[in-house]
Amino acid sequence: MALAMSTERQSRQSDDYLVVRDMSKEFQSNGARSVALQDINLTIKRGEFVTLIGHSGCGKSTLLNIMAGLYQQTDGSVALEGKPIVAPGPDRGVVFQHYSLLPWLSVRNNVFEAVDAVHKDKSRQEKYTLVDDFLKRVGLHEHRDKKPSQISGGMKQRVAIARAFANHPKVMLLDEPFGALDALTKGSLHEELIQMWSNDSQTETVVMVTHDIDEAIYLSDRIVVLTNGPAATIGEIIDVPIPRPRDKRAILHTPEWADIKERLLYLLTVEYAHAA
Amino acid sequence: MMEATQDMAIASPPRDSVQVRTSKRVSPVWIKAKAMLTSFALAMGGLALMLGVWQYIAHTHEDFPGPAATLPVLWDMLRHPFYDNGPNDKGVGIQVWMSLGRVFRGWMLGSLIAIPIGLAMGSNRAIMGVLNPVVQFMRPVSPLAWYPIGLAILKNSETAVVFAITVTSLWPTLINTMFGVSSLPEDYRNVARVYRFSRWKYITKVLIPYSLPHIFTGLKLSMGIAWVVIVAGEMLAGGTGIGYFVWDSWNAFSLEKVISAIIIIGAIGFMLDRALDWMVKRVSYSA
Repeated sequence: MALAMSTERQSRQSDDYLVVRDMSKEFQSNGARSVALQDINLTIKRGEFVTLIGHSGCGKSTLLNIMAGLYQQTDGSVALEGKPIVAPGPDRGVVFQHYSLLPWLSVRNNVFEAVDAVHKDKSRQEKYTLVDDFLKRVGLHEHRDKKPSQISGGMKQRVAIARAFANHPKVMLLDEPFGALDALTKGSLHEELIQMWSNDSQTETVVMVTHDIDEAIYLSDRIVVLTNGPAATIGEIIDVPIPRPRDKRAILHTPEWADIKERLLYLLTVEYAHAA
Repeated sequence: MMEATQDMAIASPPRDSVQVRTSKRVSPVWIKAKAMLTSFALAMGGLALMLGVWQYIAHTHEDFPGPAATLPVLWDMLRHPFYDNGPNDKGVGIQVWMSLGRVFRGWMLGSLIAIPIGLAMGSNRAIMGVLNPVVQFMRPVSPLAWYPIGLAILKNSETAVVFAITVTSLWPTLINTMFGVSSLPEDYRNVARVYRFSRWKYITKVLIPYSLPHIFTGLKLSMGIAWVVIVAGEMLAGGTGIGYFVWDSWNAFSLEKVISAIIIIGAIGFMLDRALDWMVKRVSYSA
């Protein structure tokens, strides 16, 4: 079964899907220019799960926001299926670091307003069916009438994930989605994310920002390690050749796990040690 | 005081843990009742202090009525609030009713002007740049200075009072709306961008719900100003209203009635404030 799934995944992968070429990003503040990212070259294949890892302030969220179309790069190009990314679009879903649920709307309406804005051709009834379907998948259907302030952090992020996946984006962009959660909640959300990506949704490609090494290895096909900012760039790209579906406890004993973890630890603590 | 009561209620430990640990269980109802009694006693203390100061002034100033002389007059006024003996002798209830009508008209009109302008100023830098100096210039002008302008334009003393209320009370609503809109967190704006909310959806589902507590706080402050301005306005305009009643009583050498009117004005102002405070709480959300 593991084999069947991984070949299916492989067949969905094709080259040159999400392409970042010679990209740089500068910020201006009070007349002073600062280079956040430079010489970024990255090609993400269709169907891939890629994580961006690096120390805080290395510009990994900036790179993700440029892919989302929320920021514009200063130089170079960013394109999805050959089309340049200039603004946010329905082909890309985003899960934000701070959940970003609208606190005055119920759980259900938080998902509904996004679905309503994106699926313009569907009837109201169809939209609510879609919303309830995705809330069931993340186990929040019975909490649908609660406000975000009445549910836990893990539940909030589940709502945000349901909201993002319900819009059937081709690419899902996640900005440190589990950074604020405890280890156990994090673990079950990993499973749900993988489930969404591999089976339950029309989303094929995932790009996720993280600073958690174990999370990166467990989830990714490839791990992109960024050097320290300012003027950060891609230091190394590490393949994770562990077959899917992955068992969280079993993979701990594989030689791949140990090798990749050692390499990542070396890169992040020695090679690009944070100037603290 | 409201907050204090709620804190006390929250601070009471959950039932189970108390039962296990202690033999004497303190009921949360009793804790809440105790907090309410405390705040009531404190409020009564403040009231007694005010009466004391009033009594002292009356004692040291000749011809200034103290509580003993005033309260029967106030009681008399409140017993027959709606009598009407022609244009120069009406019950205090009628006067207050007239004043409230003007206050609401002026306040509503001011809000209808202030909220859209505040929304526009808060969401657009150019509009802010053009209108902010105008706002800062007009805001500190005294309500009484607007009255002749209103009279000249509208040729009617009653609508001139409403005009003065409108022009002086709209600023807190305008400024609070503007501030609310311009403080919208980038996270919420990004949600609207990522899901490509239409302009209408952005305004009705993000911008307005986010700013509503700010807007209502502005409305509450504006109402406070409107209620202050009405007394001055009606003193100038004459005819009817609680402001006119104050001036008329002064001319009739009845300080008891003047003081009674002040007590009524204060009580109604307090109730208006509480009512709008309740509305602010209704539109507030916890993030």
